[in-house]
Amino acid sequence: MSGISLAGVTKRYPGGVLAVKGVDIDIESGEFVTLVGPSGCGKTTTLRTIAGFETPTDGNIRIDDENVTDAPPYERDTGMVFQDFALFPHMTIHENIAYGMEAAGEYTDEEIDARVEEMLELVELPGVGDRTPDQLSGGQQQRIALARALAPRPKALLLDEPLASLDKQLREQMQVELRRIQQEIGITTVFVTHNQEEALTMSDRLAVMNDGKFEQVGPPEDVYNDPDSRFVADFLGTANIFDGSVTAIEDGYATVECADVTVQATAQNGISTGDDVSVIVRPERIRFAAASESDADADATANATANASASSSTNPSADGGTQPAPETVFKGEITFKRHLGSSVEFRVETDAGRELVVVRRSGLDERGPGDRVTVSIGAADCRLVEE
Amino acid sequence: MTNRTDTSSETGTGTGAATTADAATTASDTEASTAEPSSSDESGRAGLKSRAKWYVLSYPLFWLVAVFFVPLCMLVVFSFWENIPGGQYQIGFTLENYARFLDIGFTSTWPFIEPGLYLGQLWLTVELALVTAGLSLLLGYPMAYYLARMNRPWLRSVLLITIISSLWVTYVIRAYAWQVILASGGILSSVGTALGFLAEPQSFYPGYWGLVVGMVYVFLPFMILTLYSSLRNLDGELLEASKNLGAGPAKTFRRVTLPLSKNGVMSGTALVFILALGSYVLPRLLGSPGQRTLPVLIEQQIMSESNYPFGAAMSIGLIVVVLVFLWVLIRVTNVTTASLGGTEEIATDGGSQPARSSAPGPLTRFRSGLGTAAATVGLTAAGNRLGSALDSLVTRIDANTRESIIWVAFRTYVAAVMVYIALPLAIIIAVSFTPEEFLTFPPGGFSLQWYAEFFGTEAWRTALLNSLTIAGAAALLSTTIGGGLAFALDRFDYRWGTIYGTLGVLPILLPPVIIGVAFLVFFLELEIGGFALAGSRLGIIIAHGIFYAPFPFILISQGLDEIDRTYEEAAMNLGASSLRTIRTITYPLIRANVVSGALFAFILSLNEYIISWLLSLFLVQTIPIQIFNQLRYSYPPTIAAASVVFIFLTVVVMTAIDRLSGGIWE
Repeated sequence: MSGISLAGVTKRYPGGVLAVKGVDIDIESGEFVTLVGPSGCGKTTTLRTIAGFETPTDGNIRIDDENVTDAPPYERDTGMVFQDFALFPHMTIHENIAYGMEAAGEYTDEEIDARVEEMLELVELPGVGDRTPDQLSGGQQQRIALARALAPRPKALLLDEPLASLDKQLREQMQVELRRIQQEIGITTVFVTHNQEEALTMSDRLAVMNDGKFEQVGPPEDVYNDPDSRFVADFLGTANIFDGSVTAIEDGYATVECADVTVQATAQNGISTGDDVSVIVRPERIRFAAASESDADADATANATANASASSSTNPSADGGTQPAPETVFKGEITFKRHLGSSVEFRVETDAGRELVVVRRSGLDERGPGDRVTVSIGAADCRLVEE
Repeated sequence: MTNRTDTSSETGTGTGAATTADAATTASDTEASTAEPSSSDESGRAGLKSRAKWYVLSYPLFWLVAVFFVPLCMLVVFSFWENIPGGQYQIGFTLENYARFLDIGFTSTWPFIEPGLYLGQLWLTVELALVTAGLSLLLGYPMAYYLARMNRPWLRSVLLITIISSLWVTYVIRAYAWQVILASGGILSSVGTALGFLAEPQSFYPGYWGLVVGMVYVFLPFMILTLYSSLRNLDGELLEASKNLGAGPAKTFRRVTLPLSKNGVMSGTALVFILALGSYVLPRLLGSPGQRTLPVLIEQQIMSESNYPFGAAMSIGLIVVVLVFLWVLIRVTNVTTASLGGTEEIATDGGSQPARSSAPGPLTRFRSGLGTAAATVGLTAAGNRLGSALDSLVTRIDANTRESIIWVAFRTYVAAVMVYIALPLAIIIAVSFTPEEFLTFPPGGFSLQWYAEFFGTEAWRTALLNSLTIAGAAALLSTTIGGGLAFALDRFDYRWGTIYGTLGVLPILLPPVIIGVAFLVFFLELEIGGFALAGSRLGIIIAHGIFYAPFPFILISQGLDEIDRTYEEAAMNLGASSLRTIRTITYPLIRANVVSGALFAFILSLNEYIISWLLSLFLVQTIPIQIFNQLRYSYPPTIAAASVVFIFLTVVVMTAIDRLSGGIWE
């Protein structure tokens, strides 16, 4: 097993469209890396340059420390699972799985048969070898496509949105299955998806792509909690975003003036007074103040904005940290509520007219649409990024 | 991946570039990798790729340009050369040939001009084609409607197979069948006298109406199949909606069915018109000397008078008529070249669906144009009144009775048309078993002696062997030309891709007699250089190979178009080289298309008469030529036996095609 490295990989199409704009990544041996991004971001093109279906206009690709930039697909030793599986319709399952080994020409018939059986065991579909692809369900075809890709013992596994055509329940089941098999074999894997949830749940590392470039590369928790850009925050999960400019930085906290509100956020390296920034707050980091307290506050002040800095000193952090962190407090009304199973999502319209998304654990709140609430955001729960 | 929507698929428009947006992206993205040999050097790979692209194209292009287009151009050149009586000609420049062709006489009475012999015959040719197309439409529309609407699949298959089978049997045999029916002492005359309609035996051929009956018989299947697929696409719910909104059957037909099948009507009529225009065998065998159409005159100039320059000039005249017609058709209906290619989809489902690709807009314009014209003469008003009268009449009868009356009338009609289509060949089959010396019907007993005669005669055996050899070799040639072109246009982008694609379907649009003359002229010139192709089987093979290349071309293009490119990518990802991918993935996936393309070419070549005849120079006998020659002298029942053997071969091959493609006719 071995790694893949991309250095300055660029792909320009004959029409002049720049699909990939110089991406760099070193994928370690056995690592599961996901390329995630919206349609047209270049993630599939990147994967196809690794597979050899596209030749990069610039840059180079190494698999197992061998420069394969210009090698044809059949000399690269990658195993790919296609979005619609591409199981050969005129062959049996057995013939499909054996195809790669036959093409390699290095295996005896006995070895091939044994390997096919082994692969069918691995994907938990023993005994389907004599069937044809159209006799299998979508999920089964998916497993066979995986078995076929892995059978010739490739150096890397490439997955091009393989779960996109499955229904939700099957997709979740296959996410787990795919990861199990990948870890069992320990194969270097590049996974392409536009589904942010898949990217977050399956990967060792993920690379968020936008407009042909990597916006951010890192482990899922890091990318989710500390997005490097407004795009990443917006694309992965839900984010409340406050655009404004930094008016002051004091005691490690930055004050950000937005059109409707002033937000206190933990300062970050590289951000200084006068910068235009976005403040990013994940919905589950926003807290509701206790009902009685919120009523009192509602009486005291009509305008959340005016109250923001004042309340930061009066309300100590609920975390009970050693140092009271500043908070930003809003008053508003719940406009919408929906249950997500283990959690509940609220939409709160602040009195200044901004909509906030708040996610709370299920069963904590009886409040619903029409109720007035006070919400607070701790400075430590805010992530500042340059606009 | 919207930003990857490429430029390349535009270049290959209409020639088989991938269709759906998604497929287009993947397809053209992979083009680079599908057909190129391996090399680690980047510029080397690019070079190889661009060279491979020309290597692949050079083969079909050699045939279509050097061996097809050049002869056509030579035909133009030839038409200006001078004829020396006695079968010689010399290089020169004279307009004499055209002057003779376009000769107009002047008279002292109105309209003061009188077309010369050739212009008169040209008009007759066009008129016959128009009459044939018109009658085919009238007869074919209700038939096609019935086929499309009936709900007994097995019966539909039986009817369709009957129609399609007769379609491919050589014109020579089918004209012969009508001779048997129409001749003095033939079936019609015998039945007529027996029933007392005729006072004495009478011959209905040669003559104008005998010829028309034969022409309609031959071309009606093309019309039915074209209309059938057009009507079949018509959503049944639309008709129900119309009825639900209160329109009676007549109104529903006039306002919904007819307008929606206009495309089919247009293309069916155009197809039959073009085919009838180029028809040689029927006017020659069923027409009187006065009904010599242009193809017949051309053949006479070539084979009897050996006046090649004049024959060439008349061929150009016929091409001009075809081109003018196509031009008008395109102007009026805005049928594009792509859909003209669609006209050739006879191959895919028996003469059907050329209309699908033509734009409805201009057709609507055409229709409303027609509507205006009709309104001015009060036709629409009359039609409406007639329609509502009919509607109120039928509505008064209770629905069930009405339905059954309509269906009984319909079935009777359909049965009559089916008899018209099937009977002639049935008669030939019956006659072939006669124990008597002459053709009689009904046969006076049962005997296989004429089959024994057929297989026992050297000349027939040679002809059969020649037919099979030529058809087999021509099918292979067609398939390599058509397949090569389809593959090249599908895999690579060429600047003139559309033109190459048009070249791929062009041969079949031209009247075969012209193809024959062009090749003959070309081969005779080659002979000076030492290649004796005229009068040899090889010459006929080459001509047939090119003439029928459009069938494999269209079928294989379709196959390649429908292949999901990811199968090929998957194969290469699994380590299969380009060649291995083509062998193990691409070819198996389009095998049905390749084989049916080859079989179509085979069956068409097997049944072809006029090209073979022109190129045979009396030296090569095929079954159609042999039958035709025998028809000139007498009617030995051997002809019937030969025909039956041939019909049998044809039906076997058609069934094979049908099996292969899993019910291609549906």
